[in-house]
Amino acid sequence: MSDTPANHSSATPFGLSVRFALRELRGGLSGFYIFLACLALGVTAIAGVGSVSRSLSEGISQGGSTILGGDISFELVHREATQEERAFIDTLGKVSQINTTRAMARRDDGSDQTLVELKAVDGLYPLAGTLTTTSGEELSGLLGKQSDPDNRWGALVAPELLARLNLSVGDDVQIGNLLVQITDTITSEPDRLSTGFGFGPRLMISEQALLESGIIQPGSLMDWVYRVQLPVGQNSDGDLERIEELAEEQFPLAGWDIDTRNNASPGLRRNIERFAQFLTLVGLTALIVGGVGVANAVRAYLDTKQKVIATFKSVGASGGFVFRVYLTQIMVLAVIGIAIGLLAGAAIPFFAGGFLRNILPVDSAVGVYPQELALAVLYGILTTLVFALWPLGKVQEISPTALFRDGGASSSGLPRLPYLIAFLVAVIALAASAILLSYDPFIASVFVGACAAAFVLLRLVATGIMAIARRLPRAQSTPWRLAVGNLHRKGALTPSVVLSLGLGLALLVSLTLIDANLRRQLSSTIADQAPSFFFVDIQNNDLDRFKSALVEAAPDGDVQSVPMLRGRMISLAGVPVSEIEAPPGSAWALNGDRGITYSATLPDNSSLVEGEWWPEDYQGKPLVSYDAELAKEFGLELGDEVSVNVLGREIKAEIGNLREVEWESLAINFVLVFSPNTFAGAPHTHLATLTYPDGSTADEEFAVLKAMTNTFPAVTSVRVKDALDQANEVIGQLALAVRLAAGIALVASILVLGGALAAGQRHRVYDAVVLKTLGATRHKLVQAFGLEYMLLGIVTAVFGMIAGSAAAWFVLEKIMGADFTFLPSVAASSLITALVLTVGFGLAGTWRLLGQKAAPVLREL
Amino acid sequence: MNEIPATAATTSAIRLKDVQLSLGSGAARVHILKGFSFDVAQGTSLGLIGPSGSGKSTLLMVIGGLERADSGLVEIAGQSFDALSEDQLATFRGANIGIVFQSFHLISNMTALENVAVPLELAGVKDAFARARAELESVGLGNRADHYPTELSGGEQQRVAIARALAPRPKILIADEPTGNLDAETGKDISDLMFRIQKERGMTLVLVTHDGGLANACERVVAIRSGEIFEDRSAGEAVLQSA
Repeated sequence: MSDTPANHSSATPFGLSVRFALRELRGGLSGFYIFLACLALGVTAIAGVGSVSRSLSEGISQGGSTILGGDISFELVHREATQEERAFIDTLGKVSQINTTRAMARRDDGSDQTLVELKAVDGLYPLAGTLTTTSGEELSGLLGKQSDPDNRWGALVAPELLARLNLSVGDDVQIGNLLVQITDTITSEPDRLSTGFGFGPRLMISEQALLESGIIQPGSLMDWVYRVQLPVGQNSDGDLERIEELAEEQFPLAGWDIDTRNNASPGLRRNIERFAQFLTLVGLTALIVGGVGVANAVRAYLDTKQKVIATFKSVGASGGFVFRVYLTQIMVLAVIGIAIGLLAGAAIPFFAGGFLRNILPVDSAVGVYPQELALAVLYGILTTLVFALWPLGKVQEISPTALFRDGGASSSGLPRLPYLIAFLVAVIALAASAILLSYDPFIASVFVGACAAAFVLLRLVATGIMAIARRLPRAQSTPWRLAVGNLHRKGALTPSVVLSLGLGLALLVSLTLIDANLRRQLSSTIADQAPSFFFVDIQNNDLDRFKSALVEAAPDGDVQSVPMLRGRMISLAGVPVSEIEAPPGSAWALNGDRGITYSATLPDNSSLVEGEWWPEDYQGKPLVSYDAELAKEFGLELGDEVSVNVLGREIKAEIGNLREVEWESLAINFVLVFSPNTFAGAPHTHLATLTYPDGSTADEEFAVLKAMTNTFPAVTSVRVKDALDQANEVIGQLALAVRLAAGIALVASILVLGGALAAGQRHRVYDAVVLKTLGATRHKLVQAFGLEYMLLGIVTAVFGMIAGSAAAWFVLEKIMGADFTFLPSVAASSLITALVLTVGFGLAGTWRLLGQKAAPVLREL
Repeated sequence: MNEIPATAATTSAIRLKDVQLSLGSGAARVHILKGFSFDVAQGTSLGLIGPSGSGKSTLLMVIGGLERADSGLVEIAGQSFDALSEDQLATFRGANIGIVFQSFHLISNMTALENVAVPLELAGVKDAFARARAELESVGLGNRADHYPTELSGGEQQRVAIARALAPRPKILIADEPTGNLDAETGKDISDLMFRIQKERGMTLVLVTHDGGLANACERVVAIRSGEIFEDRSAGEAVLQSA
C-alpha cells in the first residue's frame, strides 16, 4: 500500500474503527467459511420461502380477473339467484353464469365410475382469460350438440378422467341421467382456482346439458356463480368496492359470497401465507442453529486475535474502540454471508416455478421481492448480533498483559454490562421480529419459547455431561480415560457439539414425528372407525329406496343417514361473525358455508356436555346444539342466539345444549345440529355413510360404488379411502417442503458440528502426537476419540429425541388437536443419525492426523 | 473523549511508592511486588534485571499502566494512575508511554507504515501517516514502509515496533527483552538504535533484560528478586551476581 493521505487521520472514531476493521480483514476469509455458510443457508431458506410465497400471492393478484373469471363474482350455494338478485347483477355489466358441483361420471356400459368436479358454463364463458383444449377448436362447438347420430351434448374433460375411466375423446360418459360425448381434453382452464379443484378430474358441460342431466335438485350441493365483467370506465377498484357495498346493502340476506379480482382466491392466499410463515420459522431455526456456528467462529477468531487486541490496547486503543473494530469485521462478514443467502434465496422462485405448478394451479409471478428479502436480511443481522455480541463483548477483558504472558483473556464469566444489555436487546429484537412478523403470533411465541428452552436445556445438558465426566472414577482403560477427560477438559467440544447437533436433531425429530403421526392417524382411523363411503345429495323422496339399495349392495355394512343443508353463520350471541376475532384454530367454523343438519335425537359420536337434548316431538322455539369446544372458543353459552343464513333465509335459534364431537371419527358430524322443527318444509337432501364394522376389501367397495352409481346416477359417492389418499398426497407435498426446510436446518447443524470438530483438531493432534511418542497405537487413539464422539452423539441424540418428541406432542395435541404417539423408529433413526454424524465426522477428521509423523507436529507445536 | 485529570508536575518521570501486587486467586495467588518503591528521573535510562519470576516484567507492566497495583502510588509523567479509568489509562498510555516487546507484536494484516501509524491514528493525529513514515525513516526502514511484517526480518520487525512505540513521541519508552528474539549482532543494532533515540529525544527508557551487557548500557541498573529491589546501582558499577 502506498502512502495514505493525511486526511485519513481526521476520520471519526467510527470511521477509524471501520478502517482498522478493513485492514484486519486483509487476512481473508480463512476461519469464516462455516460462519458464512451458516448465515447464507439460513438466509437462503428465509428469503427463498418468502420469495416463493410472495410470487404465488402476486400471481394470484396479477391474474385476479382471470382466476376469478371476471371483475366481480357472486357465488350462491344450493340455490340460484332470485329474479331481483339476478336483475341487480345484470345491471352491473356483462354477466356469465357457471355452475359447479361434485358428481359421478360413469362409463356408458356402467363398468366403471369416478368422482368428478363438474362445471357447467354458458355461452359467455370465459369472461376473462382463455380456455385451451388439445384441438384448439371453438368452445361453443365443443360443448354444443354434436352431429353424431345420437346428437349428444359435448363435454370437455381433464386428461386424468380419460385415464381413470379408460376412455378416449369421442367416447360417451354418463353424468346424472345424461350421456354426453367427450369432445376434447382441457389443457388450461383460466379460472380453475376459483371453481374447485382437487377432489376429482374436471368435466365441463354446457348449462343446457346440466339442466338435462337431472343433477340439479332442490337442496343439492350445487354452486351458482355469477361473474361480471364491468364496462370500461366503470371498473376501477373504487367501483368494485361500491358494488360490494351496494350488494350487501340491497340484499343483506342473500348469503352470497362476493369476490373481486383483487382478492380472487382469499382462502388459498391465506393458506400460502400461513404455510410460508411456518416454513419461515423452520428457516429461522436453521439460521439459529447456524448462529451457534457464528458464535463458535467469532470466538475462535477472537482467540487468534488476542495478541493483536492486546497490541491495540497497548498503544492506546480503548476497549470500546476494539469492540467496534471487531464488531465491524463480523458485520462485514455477515453482510457477505447474508448477500450470498439473498442471491440464492431470491433465485429460488425462478427455479421452483415448474415444481409448484404441479402442486398449485397458480402461475407464480416470478420476480425479486425486496420486502421478503429485507425480512431475511433482518433475521440474518439479528441472528449474527445475538450470537456474536456475547463473545465480542469479551474483547474488553483482553488485557495488554497478554503480550507479556500467556492467557491475558478470561473466557468464562459474563461480558460487561453494556455488552450484556446489547446482547439482550438483540435477543429481544429477534424474538419480537419472529413473533410480530408472523401470521400466527401464538405459534411464533411457542416457537420462540421452544428455541429459548432448547438453548437453556442444551447448555444444561452440556454442563451436566461435563460435570458427570469430571466426577467419574478414573477408568483403568487409557482410551476411556482419554475419552472421558476430553469430555470435560477446558475447551472441550461438548458444549458446541451438544448445542449444534441437539438443536438440529430436535427439529428433525419433531417434524418427523408430526408428519408420521398425522399420516398414521389418517390410516389408522380408516382401519378402525371411519366409514367407507359418503353419499351426498340423496333426494328426500329417494332416501328410503337409496338406503334399501345400499343395504342390499353391502349386507355387512352399517348405513347411516342424516338430513343435510348448507348454511352460513351470520351472528353469534348478537355479534356479527365479521366482528368476531376467532382463534386461528377455530376460524374455519365461521368462514363460508358449512353443512348443517337437524335431529330429533343426540347424534352418534357426540356426548352432551351442558344442557338437555330436546324432546323428539319438540315444537317450540327453534333450538340448536353447538359444538362445545367451539362454543368455548367463541364465548358462547346456553341460551345465546345463533343466526344462520340457509337458502337465503335467516334462521335464528337458541343454543339449547352443548355437545362434545369426536371429529376424528370421520363419521357424520356437524357443528350445528338444529331441532327438527327449525327446517320444517325446507328443501334439503340427505347425507349417508356406509361403514363396514369388520372391515372391507377394495373389491367390495368398488362393487358398491358401481351398484349405487348405476342405480342413483345423481347421487355423489365419495370413497373415503380415495379422499384420504388425496389428503395423504397433500400432506406428502407439504411435508416435502417442511423436510426441505428442516433439511437446511440439519445441514446448518452439520456445518456447525464440522466447524466445532475442526476447531478441536489442534488440541487433538497435540494429544495424539504426545500419546504416540509415549507408545500409543493408532488403534488405541481411534478407540479413545471414537468413544468420546460416541458418548457425545448418544447424549445429544437422547436429548434431541426427548425435546423433539415434546415439541411434536405440543404441536399435535395443543395446536392441532390431534393425538400424539411416540414412534420408536423415529427415535432409532435420530440416534443413528447423531452417531453417524458425530463419530463419522469426528473420526474422518482425526484419522488423517493420526497418520502424521510425530516430529514435524511437535516442532510446529 | 477520555479527559485525564491533571496532577501536580514532578521532576520524576516514574515514581513508584510502596507498590503491592498479587496475581492469581485462591491457592494459586502469588505476591509478586512487595512494597516496591523507586523514582526514575526524566531523560534517564534504567535496566531492570533479575531471575525469571522475580517480578521485573510485572513491574514493567505496572509502569506501562497495563497492570494495576493492588496498593501504593504509581505516578508516570506526573500522572497518578489511581485516578484514571481503564480507557483514560489507554489514552494516556497511547500519548505518553511507548512499549517495545520481545516478540515485536506487529499486526500481521497491516503494513509497516500502518503499524507505526496505529497509535497516531488512535490519538487522532491529522498527519498520522506522514509522521509514521518519518518515524520509519528514523529507524532506517523508510524503504520498507509498504511491506507486511511477514516480509521483514526479525531485526526489521523490531525496528518497526520501535518506530511504532516512538511515533506518538512518548515521554517514556519501556522495553521487555527487546533483543531477546534476535541474534547478537542484530540485537546490538537494535539496542544502539534505542539508546540513540532515547538520548536524542530526552526520553526515559526502562528496559527489562537478561543480557548483562545491555543492562550495563543503561545509566542505572535495578536488580529485582522476589518482587523487591535487591540492588540499585549506577552505570559503571560491577555487574550483579544475581543478574
